[in-house]
Amino acid sequence: MLLASPCPLTWIEVAPTRCGTGPFVRMSTVADNPPTADERNREQAALLAAMARGDKAALARLYDLLAKPLYSLAFRVLNDAGEAQDVVQDVFLQIWHKAATYDTGRGSVFAWAATLTRNRAIDRVRMRTRRAELLAESAPDLQPAAVGGEADSAASLWVREKAGAVRTALAQLAPEQQKAIELAFFSGLTQQEIAARLNEPLGTVKARIRRGLLKLREILPARL
Amino acid sequence: MITERHEELAALHALGLLEGAERSAFESELAGNAELRALVDSLAESSAALALAAPPVQPPAGLKQRILAAVPAEAPGARIVGFPLARLAPWALAAALAVAATWLATQNLALRHENAALASERQLAEVAYRMTQNQLSERSLLAENMINDLGGKLRRSEDLSRLKITALASLAGNTKEAQVIAVWDPGQQTGLLTMEKLPAIADTQDYQIWIVDPAYKDPVNGGVFHVAADGKVTLAFKPDQPVAQAAAFAISLEKKGGVPKAEGPIVLLGK
Repeated sequence: MLLASPCPLTWIEVAPTRCGTGPFVRMSTVADNPPTADERNREQAALLAAMARGDKAALARLYDLLAKPLYSLAFRVLNDAGEAQDVVQDVFLQIWHKAATYDTGRGSVFAWAATLTRNRAIDRVRMRTRRAELLAESAPDLQPAAVGGEADSAASLWVREKAGAVRTALAQLAPEQQKAIELAFFSGLTQQEIAARLNEPLGTVKARIRRGLLKLREILPARL
Repeated sequence: MITERHEELAALHALGLLEGAERSAFESELAGNAELRALVDSLAESSAALALAAPPVQPPAGLKQRILAAVPAEAPGARIVGFPLARLAPWALAAALAVAATWLATQNLALRHENAALASERQLAEVAYRMTQNQLSERSLLAENMINDLGGKLRRSEDLSRLKITALASLAGNTKEAQVIAVWDPGQQTGLLTMEKLPAIADTQDYQIWIVDPAYKDPVNGGVFHVAADGKVTLAFKPDQPVAQAAAFAISLEKKGGVPKAEGPIVLLGK
């Protein structure tokens, strides 16, 4: 395997060659300071560029970086391991095919991948025949993060660190804003369905979503 | 200037809560408002971060290999589908119909009141129509029927006022040069698209046509098409559901074969 092998680099100039033998530009190692958000996104963007040239090892590396948070998101929305796997597979294949179209000016690679995953998962929720019943199951309150049982790789550390930042940011929202945003993001409910679920006027729900998301933008870094 | 209403729509858009005509209208505004585009992008980034609030679950061990095995061996965007030479000639001649349709877009209003002025232009359209019809024999039966119907419309000037003619504007950075005109016949439930300078796409993708009808929650599927290397396409389309009011037309970039509901980016939009 190319880039997916245990390469000591944490971010690299991706080239279609084997780790350690090609023209990589060594920027930092695990022993150095962890990469910044910009550095991490540059690494992921470089992986997309390599994928656009047909480098499957770059896809493997991107999988290592993003598969867990994307699978967790799909599982959270669908509450079904088989469907979550299908969604993650579809998303990585879509990323492979559309790698050349990624525009660094429009957002991070993670945001792009997470949006694709959420949209596909929600499409599946909406297609289920027992819609009302399953929607009720799909929007439980957020559970505390599971601890332990995972390798301490740089990727998992990054995910854990950022997940903690997102949960802390959510906790700073007013409870009604947090609830409205969670329903909007994870459940696949429409505006009207969210208002009905919360037993609030539609205008109130829209205002909560607006204020809550603007607040999250203030608290969270511009790019994860 | 960003208003509170803009912020609300941007937040709803970032969370995928805008639908139908409301979404189309907002995306049209986005196309011409860089400040609003920046707000939407930043809120989309914050919205995507919510993914990390999901309780962590380890993906199954075999998933990675399953995905890698499903990836084709060749580079995803390496090959652009080219049309056989024999088929380039019909496309080139079909551009003549594009000229006629473009002309119709600019002259339609005047034609309603000046039937006399129509005669010479109609002849041009008819010549273009006949040339195209002759050369498009390899096209699908559906496409041919659509063009025949539209050719019939060209011969009946009184019917021109029924046609809805729309220029589609670019919503994506790589389609700024594209020139796209949609002609829609509500009576026949068919349309004709003429396009120039449309970016070529990989063979794993298709452009997909959507018709926004307020009667439906989601835009109506108008079918998929590919584009030749010269970026010129003229094609007929027919929605898969009856369209009562074609409020807008859109073209999105989708996976090969298209999707029942738009997933990819909307690259062109017009009302």
